[in-house]
Amino acid sequence: MIESFKQLEQIAKDRDLADVFLETDEQEHAVPRDQILEALRKRRAVMRDCVERGKNGGLSMGKLVGNEAKLLNEAFQNGKTFLDPLTVKAELYALSVMGENSRMGVIVAAPTAGAGGVVPGMLLALEEERKIDQEKTVRALVVAGGIGSIIALTANISGAAGGCQNEVGVASSMGAAGVAYMMGGSTRQSIHAAALALKNTLGLVCDPVGGLVEVPCVKRNALFAVHGLTAAQLALAGIESVIPMDEIVEAMVRIGRALPRGLKETAEGGLATTVTGCEIGQRIKDEANQRRAARAAERERAAQERKSAIK
Amino acid sequence: MTVRHDRKVSILDVMGPVMVGPSSSHTAGTARLGRVAREILDEDPVTVRFYLHPPLAATYRGHGSDFALVGGAIGLNVDDPRIPEAIRIAEQMGVNIEFHEEDLGEVHPNTVRIEIEGEKRKAEVVGSSIGGGVIEVFKINGFQTRFKGDSPTLLLFYRDRPGMISEVTRIIAEERINIASLYCSRKQRGKDAFMQIDVDSPISDAALGRICALADVSEARYLDRIP
Repeated sequence: MIESFKQLEQIAKDRDLADVFLETDEQEHAVPRDQILEALRKRRAVMRDCVERGKNGGLSMGKLVGNEAKLLNEAFQNGKTFLDPLTVKAELYALSVMGENSRMGVIVAAPTAGAGGVVPGMLLALEEERKIDQEKTVRALVVAGGIGSIIALTANISGAAGGCQNEVGVASSMGAAGVAYMMGGSTRQSIHAAALALKNTLGLVCDPVGGLVEVPCVKRNALFAVHGLTAAQLALAGIESVIPMDEIVEAMVRIGRALPRGLKETAEGGLATTVTGCEIGQRIKDEANQRRAARAAERERAAQERKSAIK
Repeated sequence: MTVRHDRKVSILDVMGPVMVGPSSSHTAGTARLGRVAREILDEDPVTVRFYLHPPLAATYRGHGSDFALVGGAIGLNVDDPRIPEAIRIAEQMGVNIEFHEEDLGEVHPNTVRIEIEGEKRKAEVVGSSIGGGVIEVFKINGFQTRFKGDSPTLLLFYRDRPGMISEVTRIIAEERINIASLYCSRKQRGKDAFMQIDVDSPISDAALGRICALADVSEARYLDRIP
């Protein structure tokens, strides 16, 4: 079992990082590597499918988001975007996946649903723009998952445990390592890509408006997909994190503990308690109560009908 | 100092599951907790009561945790597109569903206690959805445990007596099945006891029959990996 990033770097120094992760996972969990790869091929396909479905937009469950992917796609198709195509696609695909997620569509939690747009945004955009073989993307998913599994030895991967740094931060870290791997980077560069991405999300709070995975989650996934690409770019140029990855993860856990409860997914602080956030939160509560009352009335009516039918 | 988890989560756990949105901890994890309760009950539920720890009670509706918990409790998988309709489906099946708030103590924010009843049996499960769809069940029918649902598992309810563990593990060994972990707890010496055995490969019906036939075993429940 690989217990730390320090150990990972020693073991995987001159080896293919995906192979090392497949090997250790096979030993640890008794799942054959072919089975892991096959499952990840399917997951890549689900991600791809989300991107296609999500591009068309559509209103979310809480009705706070929905058109982001559609708008960006239109701008891109009409030549009205100013960033390079890789960056725009990373944003677009992240928005597409998150749109699907907000409509209770089928997605891949990577590592969580609320942060599920970051990794596909980065990896699928890169695959397309650089014409990289799909199988390489699948292996990059192994790398991203492997990085996440080491982080998860120390940290709970949830906003409730440590804020958004534990979700979107971890996702951008995993994705950055995957991108560095896809671009032919070394194990050391992949780990530093992960470190640079994670380090610069520390302190990010989870303050969802109305308690929904909509605001700021959907757009945040797009922004942090680009953040992850930047981290990979720096690492591939040989720029390294002064603080080692293991220590960054420990810092993240400490920061997560220090964060007040109101900033850990409870919707009792931050954006959720701004004037607009409160208004939206109240509206969502009212609507939920109305729906519940309507359901209760419906049940009551059905019970009455049954009673009178018996008579 | 940071607490290290005793077991590494797999690549597929991190890069997954494939699930119905919008939240892995509030939708996928809670659906799996509901599913654990359903699998332990081992029959169609008639009544399911969910007792949500306050932080979960504050956030569950917006994340569709109510659909997910109920979906799991009626046997739906986390990637089943019917999850958004789970409450309606459960009502059509005639299942009584209740949601309550309950302080469950010093536990993970996303923790729930589930009471589930069928025609013949009832069961109680307390567990947390710790993120990314990963769960930790720490109480089953009043017994302390540590159940993650990530491997085939044998749950055994029996009367505490010397030799029980060796008799059970001998049958499993004879099947050439490797035990990944074993956890025992009891309410009182010589009284009700509980054993959880996580195994690397499925246990045959024949072996399960032999275990059930052991003296003082009141109930054995074999659970596959919770999808």
